[in-house]
Amino acid sequence: MAGLAAAFGSGAMTNSYDDLETAGCFFVIGSNTTACHPLIARRIYRAKERGAKLIVADPRGIQLSSMADLAVNHRLGSDVALLNGMMHCILRNGWEARDYIDSRTEGFAELEAAVADYPPERVQAITGVAVRDIEAMADLYANHGPSALLYAMGITQHTTGVDNVKSCCNLALLCGYVGAAGGGVNPLRGQNNVQGACDMGGLPNVFTGYQPVTVPENVEKFSQAWGRPLSDKPGLTITDMVGAMLDGRLRALYVIGENPKLSDPDWNHLHHALKKLDLLIVQDLFLSETAQIADVILPAAAVAEKDGTFTSSERRCARIHKAVEPVGQALSDWEIISRLSTAMGYPMEYAGPSDIFDEMASLTPKSYAGMSYERLGLDGLQWPCPDSDHPGTPILHTQSCARGLGKFHAIAYQDPAEMPDQEYPYFLTTGRMFAHYHTGTMTRISPHLDAEQRRGYVSIHPADASKLDIADGDLLVLASRRGEMEAPARVNANVQPGCLFMPIHFGENPANVLTNAEAYDPLAKIPEFKVSAVRVAKAPEARP
Amino acid sequence: MTLKFVPSICSYCGTGCGVLFQVMDGQLVGTLPMKTHPVNQGKLCIKGWNLHEHITSELRLKHPLLNTFGRMTKVGWDDAIGFAADRLKTIVAEHGPDSVGVLVSAKITNEENYLAQKFARAAVGTNNVDHCARL
Amino acid sequence: MQKQVRAWLEDGKVDVFLAYKMDCGHPLPHAFTRERIDETEDLVTGPARYSLEKFATQIAARHPEKKIGLLARDCTQRALNVLAVWNQLPAEQVEPLPVNCCPSALKPHADCTYLEAPATGEVKIQCGQDPRQSIEAVDAQEGPERFARWMYEFQKCIKCYGCRNICPVCFCKDCSLEHPDLIGTGNLPPDIPIFHLVRAVHMAGRCIDCGLCEDACPAEIPLRLLYGKVNAIVKDLFDYDTGASDALSPFSILGDKPTLTPAPLLAVSQE
Repeated sequence: MAGLAAAFGSGAMTNSYDDLETAGCFFVIGSNTTACHPLIARRIYRAKERGAKLIVADPRGIQLSSMADLAVNHRLGSDVALLNGMMHCILRNGWEARDYIDSRTEGFAELEAAVADYPPERVQAITGVAVRDIEAMADLYANHGPSALLYAMGITQHTTGVDNVKSCCNLALLCGYVGAAGGGVNPLRGQNNVQGACDMGGLPNVFTGYQPVTVPENVEKFSQAWGRPLSDKPGLTITDMVGAMLDGRLRALYVIGENPKLSDPDWNHLHHALKKLDLLIVQDLFLSETAQIADVILPAAAVAEKDGTFTSSERRCARIHKAVEPVGQALSDWEIISRLSTAMGYPMEYAGPSDIFDEMASLTPKSYAGMSYERLGLDGLQWPCPDSDHPGTPILHTQSCARGLGKFHAIAYQDPAEMPDQEYPYFLTTGRMFAHYHTGTMTRISPHLDAEQRRGYVSIHPADASKLDIADGDLLVLASRRGEMEAPARVNANVQPGCLFMPIHFGENPANVLTNAEAYDPLAKIPEFKVSAVRVAKAPEARP
Repeated sequence: MTLKFVPSICSYCGTGCGVLFQVMDGQLVGTLPMKTHPVNQGKLCIKGWNLHEHITSELRLKHPLLNTFGRMTKVGWDDAIGFAADRLKTIVAEHGPDSVGVLVSAKITNEENYLAQKFARAAVGTNNVDHCARL
Repeated sequence: MQKQVRAWLEDGKVDVFLAYKMDCGHPLPHAFTRERIDETEDLVTGPARYSLEKFATQIAARHPEKKIGLLARDCTQRALNVLAVWNQLPAEQVEPLPVNCCPSALKPHADCTYLEAPATGEVKIQCGQDPRQSIEAVDAQEGPERFARWMYEFQKCIKCYGCRNICPVCFCKDCSLEHPDLIGTGNLPPDIPIFHLVRAVHMAGRCIDCGLCEDACPAEIPLRLLYGKVNAIVKDLFDYDTGASDALSPFSILGDKPTLTPAPLLAVSQE
C-alpha cells in the first residue's frame, strides 16, 4: 500500500465495484480474479459482455486469460518492465492524457525519461511478451478508456512490490484514469479485513486512519484519549520481528487470528524464531500450525458468533451480526483482549463492539468519523466519511488526489532477488486455488471445500514434465536454497515452461519451506513469495 | 422450532459479500447470499456458500489451553488470562515494552483490531504491531 | 396479507409462516411464529425472492408435525408440487398463501424480478446465449454455433454450486456434481460442458423455472434456457408439464407400487 499512498496519498482501492462495471477496458495484472475474488470477476464479466475490453497479464494462464481480448504471460517478476514498455508505447504514440498530466500530476518529466529506456524490443527481451502484444496492450488500455487496473498479490509479493504498484499508478495517471468512474488503480485484498486492519492502526508506524506515530500531535491526542503516555518510535514490521526474535530483542509475541507459520516465507527460519520466544500467545479458531507451538492458546469466536464490522477492498465498512453463541468457552476477540488488558493493569471496559466503534470513530477524523452502527445499516458506508451527514465516498481522488497532485515515480526494472541458475533452474511461484483460502485452516476443514482439493500439488508444464519423465500425480521433490519438500505433480499447460506453481493452502506441503524470507520489498516489507528458484525431480521410487 | 436468517459479511476474501446465516433450532445450518446486497447482488462463490462449515467444525478450539512441556492442558479463562498477563508483565519489566510484539489480523473485526493495537500501544507500551496482510 | 398470516398463526392453521421482513431497507426471509405474532405487522411479500420452499423442506425434515405456511408465487406452487411428487415435502404439511407475481398488461410491474428480461450486452448476444431468446431460437442455431455459444457461457463458470444450492427442487443427499469420477475437482472452469449437462439432466421433470439459479449465477449463465430445453424434451416425450400438478413424474417408474418383476434375476440364479 506504500506505493499507492506515495502516488495518490491514500493506500486503498480508488474505485468501487459498481463503477468498475462502467470501465471501457480492464487491465488485470497479477490477480487470478475468478479464483480469488470471484464476485469481482463477475463485474468484469458483466462489463465485458457489454463490450468492455479485457487485458490479462499473468505469468500463468488463468481462467480470465481464456476470455481476454489480449492475454500475455510475462516472465515472473518482470511487471515493471512490462508496464514501462506499455507507457513507452503510449508516449511514443501520443496517447497520454496531456491536460490531466498538466493539471493534476507532478513528476512527469522524470517518468518520461525513465520509460524512454523501455522500447518494446527491450521489454520483449526481459518479459518474453512479443513487441506487437506490448503495443496492442498500450493501445487497448489508452484508447478504450476509462480503463480500470486491477491487481492483487501477483504485484505486491515481490522484492519490487512497491515499484510494481507505483508503475501501475504511473500508467493510470498517464492516461488520466485516476479519479474517473470505471478507471483507477484497484488492489484486490486477499483477506476479508485487510483494509480494516490497516485502517485501525494495525501497523507499526500509524494509529487509526494512518495517523503517523511520529507526529507529536497524534501521539498527544491518543495519549490523552487512552490515558497513557505512548511511544513515538515506529515499531517492528512482521518481517523485522522475525529477526528480532532470533537475536533475542523480541521475547513475547501475541498472535491474534493469524497463522504466520504457514503464511510466512521460509518456514524453517520462522519456526526457529518462534521457538526462541519466551512467550507465544495464540488466539484463534483452530489449533493452527502456529497455535501448536504456543504457550497459551485462547479460543476465539468466529464470524457468525459475534458483532462488529469489516472493511472490504472497496473501503466499505459493513456490519456483521451475531447469529449463534460461540462454541464451547470461546469468546469474541474483543472480549479476550479486554480481559488480558485489564489483567495487565490497563482496564478496558466496553459494553460491546458498538462502544469500541464509537471510540475509534471519534479518534479517526478523516475516514471513519461520520460512521456509527446506526448509519451503517446493512449496506455499510465507504470511507472517507468525515461527518455524520456524509454519504461516503465511492470513488477517490475525483477532484484532486488525496495528496494534492498525483505523483509519477520514475521506476527502473530490477530482476527478482533470485533468478534461476544451473543449480536451481526453475522458477517457483505460489498462489491460491479457488476452493481454498490462505493457510487453509478455515477451508480444509470445510467438507465441501476440502472435496474440491484435498492435497497440495505442484503444477508443471507438459514439456518440462516429459523432459524430467514426470507423469501426472507423480511425487516430486522440490529444493531451494532454503529447504526441500515433496508434493505430487499436476501436469498442466497453464504454467509456462521453466516455471512451477504451488498453492499455499496445504501445511503438509508447505510451499514456504522453499520461498525466500531474506528477499522482501525494502519499503513495504512484503516478502517475495511469488518468485524463488528451485530444482525439481521425481521422488525416489517408493511405489509398490 | 426456530428459524432465523442473520445478515453478515463473508469472512473469506476482501470483496465483502453480504451473506445470511441460516440458523435452525439454534444451530448454524447454512449460508445464503443476500439478494439485495450492493456488493454481491444475490450471488456467492464456493467459499461463501460454505462459510458456515468452518464455524461448525468439530476442530474448533473450545477451551483455553496451556502448553507445558509439550502437553496441552485445558484451563479456565481466569487461569489462561492470568498466566499470559503475568508472563507479559514480567517480560516487559525485564526487557522493556519493545520486547513484546502483537500480530493483529486481517480476519478479525475493526473493533478487535482497534483494541489489539490499543493493547499494544497503551497496555504494553510498544508500537510493535503488525499483521500478516503483507504475507 | 399481514392480517391473514396473523389469523392463520392464531387459529393454529399453521405453526410457522415463511415470508419476508424489512431490515434496514432489505427484505430478508423471516419465519413468523405464534410466539412473536406482532412481527406479522412488519411482514412484506417482496420484492426479493428467496427459496422459501427449500426452507419449508428443511423444517419438514426436522419437524414432521409442524404445519408450515409460506408465501407462494406461481413458481413456488410448482415447486411444492414437485416436492410432493418426489416425497420431499408432504402437501398436507404446507399451506401456501398465493401472492401476486404473474406479469400482465393490467399490472405495470409484475412482482417478480425474475421474469423481467435482464439487460444483455452486445458481446453476449454475439458470442453467448442471450437469455431472452426462446428455446426454439436456440434450437434454430446450427449445431457448431450452438455448441460454441454454450461453451462461451460455461467457460465463465466459477464452480460456486450456487445453481444447485439455491434450487428449491435439488434435494439429493449425494450430488453427482460432486462425484469425482464424473467431474474432476480442483480446476476452474470445472469440466465443461459436462458439469452443466449433468445438472441439466437432473433437472428433467424437476425444474419449475423459478429463475433462482440464474439469479444466483455469478457468471450469468442462462440456466433457465438450458433447463427449459431439458423440460421441453420431457414434455415432448411424455407430455408431462413439470410442476403443473401433483401427477407422478414420468421418471417415477416404480409407480404407486413396485411394478418391476424380479423375473430376470431369478432367471439368472436358476442357470
